[in-house]
Amino acid sequence: MAGGGGDLGGGKSQRRGKKGKRKAKKRLGFRLDMTPLVDITFLLLTFFMLTTSMITPQTMEMNVPPELDVPIEVKQSELLTVRLRDDGTIFYNMGMDAPEKIALKALRKVIVDQNVQLKNRCIVVLKASSNAPYGMVVTILDELNLAEPDILAGLKAAGINERKRKFTVAPMEAKDQEEIKGL
Amino acid sequence: MSKIKKKRLGFVLDMTPLVDITFLLLTFFMFTAKFKSESENQQKVEIKRPKTQADTAKLADKDLVMIKVGVDSVLKDTAWYVSMINEQDVVDLRRAMIEAKFPGVDEKTVSFKVMDTVWLGKIIQSCRMVNQKASFAMDADRRLRYEWVEKAVNEMRKNRATTFNFVTEKKQGL
Repeated sequence: MAGGGGDLGGGKSQRRGKKGKRKAKKRLGFRLDMTPLVDITFLLLTFFMLTTSMITPQTMEMNVPPELDVPIEVKQSELLTVRLRDDGTIFYNMGMDAPEKIALKALRKVIVDQNVQLKNRCIVVLKASSNAPYGMVVTILDELNLAEPDILAGLKAAGINERKRKFTVAPMEAKDQEEIKGL
Repeated sequence: MSKIKKKRLGFVLDMTPLVDITFLLLTFFMFTAKFKSESENQQKVEIKRPKTQADTAKLADKDLVMIKVGVDSVLKDTAWYVSMINEQDVVDLRRAMIEAKFPGVDEKTVSFKVMDTVWLGKIIQSCRMVNQKASFAMDADRRLRYEWVEKAVNEMRKNRATTFNFVTEKKQGL
């Protein structure tokens, strides 16, 4: 890099012909040694490049119902409960049906199908066990989020352009624990 | 006949474009660089965020209450770490917590290590009072038991903070 700026201010210093008797003084352009500047610039560049992390954290927005004294009644038949057991196994059931074991990959299809079938009236409730890993809970929430575009497409095909109900999380009660214990 | 002697020039390389690009990159990295805040400096917990792929928003950089849940790398205990982002909020929250006699609070505390739900409730309430507009973000380790998040969510619900964010990491390789 040394001498890098040597040519920068060079200008036109070509010698013209030897016409004049006087020997023309070679005029030098303004020269500035850029080396230190470039050095520092590279140093700073390297510093910022190494300290900047490009991956910024993302967020997933959640809405929970506020604490109300009067519980809101919903039809059992419109309730799709997804339960997560301690060991990370997922169970789902519609209304009063018996819980059924389901793989994470199959969950999205069930959610989409039920939502489209019930035409906006389906409520998906996620009940996660206190001892289940948090990462698993977020993975299921992510699946529910990923199901949204498919649900919208399904509803649109059925002539509905609005999506009203989404999913929510609810605490897992002892009764829920009991129901999926032996499965 | 005399040959015209060619003047031998030294090897000259025009550095101008190089310097231009370097300055451009320098400016870019200088503007995009974001440095760790004071609260991030204080804590010693490492959080492995859960990975998601759905379309998610970026984390807000102001009017935010951050609730981190993680395992301390030295003490091996799990706790909630509550901090606020706005500078004025940090000061106000600290004052409120000194008043409430939060254990271990001093003039420099930015991130509050909370071990039980009673204090968690109180500190969330204080956060709500300090900044009404502030939104909550939960930054928890994916390996933790859901209980830790659930308790915090319940405390937030009690304080009418029904919308909050889970901090996640974008799944790579899609």
